[in-house]
Amino acid sequence: MAQGITPLAPGLTSFLKSLKSTPADPSVEHLISLLKRRQIRNSRPCAIATTALMLRVVGEFKGRDAAKLVERIRQVGRRLTAAQPREVVVGNIVRRVLGLVREVLDDNTGGDSYAGSDAGHNTPSQHDSMTRPTLHSSISTFSPLRHAATELMDASMTSDMSDSSELSRRPPLLTSHTSYAPTSSAPLVNSLFGLFSQPADSNASTPTGQASPDGKTAQSLNLERLADLSRSSNIDLKGEVMDGIRELQDELDQSDEQIASVALEHIHSNEIILTHTASTTVQKFLLSAAKKRKFTVVHAETYPHDNAATHGILLTGRKRETRLDEDEDPWKPLTSVGIPVYVIPDSHVFAIMSRVNKVILATHTVLANGGLVAAAGAHMIAKAAKEHQTPVVVLSGVYKLSPVYPFDIDELIEYGDAGMVVPYEDGEFVDKVDVEHPLYDYVPADLVDLYITNLGGHAPSYLYRIVADHYRTEDITL
Amino acid sequence: MSIHTPTAEKPLPDFDIVSTYRSILAGDNELTMPVAAIEALVEAIAHSSVSTVAETLALLAHHTAVLKASIANPISLSAGTDLFQRYLVTTLNRPAALNLGPDDDFRAIRNHLLSNGRLFVERAKQSREKIASFGKHFIRDGATVLTNGGSRVVGALLRRAAESSTMRFKVVYVHSGSKSSDAQEGDQTVADLRAHNVPVATITNAAVAYSLEKVDMVIVGAEGVVENGGIISRLGTYQMGLLAKSKGKPFYVVAESHKFVRLYPLSQFDLPIDQKVLEFQVADDTKAVEDEGVADVNATQSKCSGLNADDAVDFTPPDLISGIITESGVLTPSAVSEELIKIWF
Repeated sequence: MAQGITPLAPGLTSFLKSLKSTPADPSVEHLISLLKRRQIRNSRPCAIATTALMLRVVGEFKGRDAAKLVERIRQVGRRLTAAQPREVVVGNIVRRVLGLVREVLDDNTGGDSYAGSDAGHNTPSQHDSMTRPTLHSSISTFSPLRHAATELMDASMTSDMSDSSELSRRPPLLTSHTSYAPTSSAPLVNSLFGLFSQPADSNASTPTGQASPDGKTAQSLNLERLADLSRSSNIDLKGEVMDGIRELQDELDQSDEQIASVALEHIHSNEIILTHTASTTVQKFLLSAAKKRKFTVVHAETYPHDNAATHGILLTGRKRETRLDEDEDPWKPLTSVGIPVYVIPDSHVFAIMSRVNKVILATHTVLANGGLVAAAGAHMIAKAAKEHQTPVVVLSGVYKLSPVYPFDIDELIEYGDAGMVVPYEDGEFVDKVDVEHPLYDYVPADLVDLYITNLGGHAPSYLYRIVADHYRTEDITL
Repeated sequence: MSIHTPTAEKPLPDFDIVSTYRSILAGDNELTMPVAAIEALVEAIAHSSVSTVAETLALLAHHTAVLKASIANPISLSAGTDLFQRYLVTTLNRPAALNLGPDDDFRAIRNHLLSNGRLFVERAKQSREKIASFGKHFIRDGATVLTNGGSRVVGALLRRAAESSTMRFKVVYVHSGSKSSDAQEGDQTVADLRAHNVPVATITNAAVAYSLEKVDMVIVGAEGVVENGGIISRLGTYQMGLLAKSKGKPFYVVAESHKFVRLYPLSQFDLPIDQKVLEFQVADDTKAVEDEGVADVNATQSKCSGLNADDAVDFTPPDLISGIITESGVLTPSAVSEELIKIWF
């Protein structure tokens, strides 16, 4: 939380306002500069701004060439992520928009030539869900299963959606499926059978050594193919993609409510809940539980970088700097609904942990391996919870879930203004002591017991699957 | 050395699957056991005159049994044979909604298999390269990597990392000290890395805990990745996993996905192989007392001798593994069962 930013200062609100009247290119520049100056920060504002910008970019896109659209989105995405690589959410949104474009194409081309991709999608998965519900329970609404974070899927597979959705299912044991027409005599190809696939698509469908490591070959193949498809077919690409982006905006709007709707399953009467930092998601979650239950909240204040926001959320129910000009649902603090709240400094977490029943953490980004990046102090809280065998629940919208694998944790940690730890006026101190002020912590996956997203609750080891559901493999490297 | 298993099938024309397998494996030292097994089975089908699905599957079952009986540690191999069998079952049983009749379909698949035998091998090798190109991102500048054994995937990965000139990293290589073929491959990897200007320290198994403090990450290969996400790898891997876990070092496994094998071992002694590692004796020269703990699944297969300590394997449970790097991305151990379920059910 950057302090001292009034609602009038450049930020999300001003950006969204100016977006209405500004063409895409200057808006891109605008957002880049806002990101660079950290005037838009934290996951949700970044996600909202990126989605709005994407809507604009797609809206202004001229022509029908899908490959060019993909390239355009990709190029904007590259610039945005380069402007602020630690706001991983920006990249997530761009990848999801790219996925939307590809999905629109796949649906249309698939619908033309095959028995209907919808039928292919739905019927078999219902069939599967009877026998093996768990693996299919949280398939997202629009993406086919992808089973690995960085699999270089072949060009033809990704464009033949009904085909690949068929393939990614279990091989049919019953021969009575009529809802999908097998498209060719090509053998079932999924990741384990990839070894045997027909040689015709060998240059693409198999793990090729010749394909460049980061998938450039596959991508270019894919782009050519996209161009072909869009030329040959007659679809309202732009309109459908924009519809998809609006759905994405709805998802951003609703994810907090969806997460909050399961609150009663997780918070029970008279429990003591520990949370930290200022998070709208957690606030709504607790408020929703407070409608029916009485419990106690212990709030670690995350001094020095987030304490002002934390105090704000405790006093007024909102972060101090958030926009004033919204909102249908009234903000109210937990105390106003009769929940006792104790604020403790971070250093007291371990001492109080033995009395805590559940830890609920907000997050900045969730990574593909199940680890998360959250406000500094989260790692300590999670460790203390582990020590006391207290369950740790992380609340996160799916939009925060990133396909990025944390190769280097240090890269993800941002450092803030050391003056907030020790004021610069304290010259003697500053002269003699190095002061550091990390804003984020990386919490490894094994310290987390449960993730609650807008799709439901997931074990950390299951997140790879949600990643695979939401991001196209060819978009992982922007 | 044709072996006849006591199955009820009619005697098949004498195609020597075992020697085919061995010659395939010997002819190409880049080849893994599962792929060599698949190759051998393709050869077997080529040499037979089967014309129906049932015949093919019976032939396959027969040869697989013979092949498994002939080698001491068939776990890795069975990953290949199982994969091949499932592939045939699922492709041959596909609904006749294909415009081809089932008969044509069968012939098409047979021809596909026979004409593309080499292709499978190439793909298996390519998947190794792909793992290398992806896995090299795990090695950061200045990192020290602990590894063991002669895994070719690990070798390829480290070599790829060494070739990218921006990265400086060090390798601690655990050497078994034996003269087994595995150790020789390990020597080869070490020499190769040193040729690429990568500083390599070789240590013995006993020095793993001692060295671990200087190590940033552990990367190991695997003979088989089992259903619960654990791995079967050469003896000593389990203890490396335990030590890495206790020191909080990430423990990565690199394995091609054709090494996924449908086994669910719960402990070290659940493996369906006979290992002469734990031999209780009262005197040096007396006959070894049979270890009761060793699973007697293969007790009937008296032909294969048990594995001695040089070739023995152990089972590393999934909770010690940070990630499994396959050609289809980094999987968590729990993803392995999903991949296997997809082809089996």
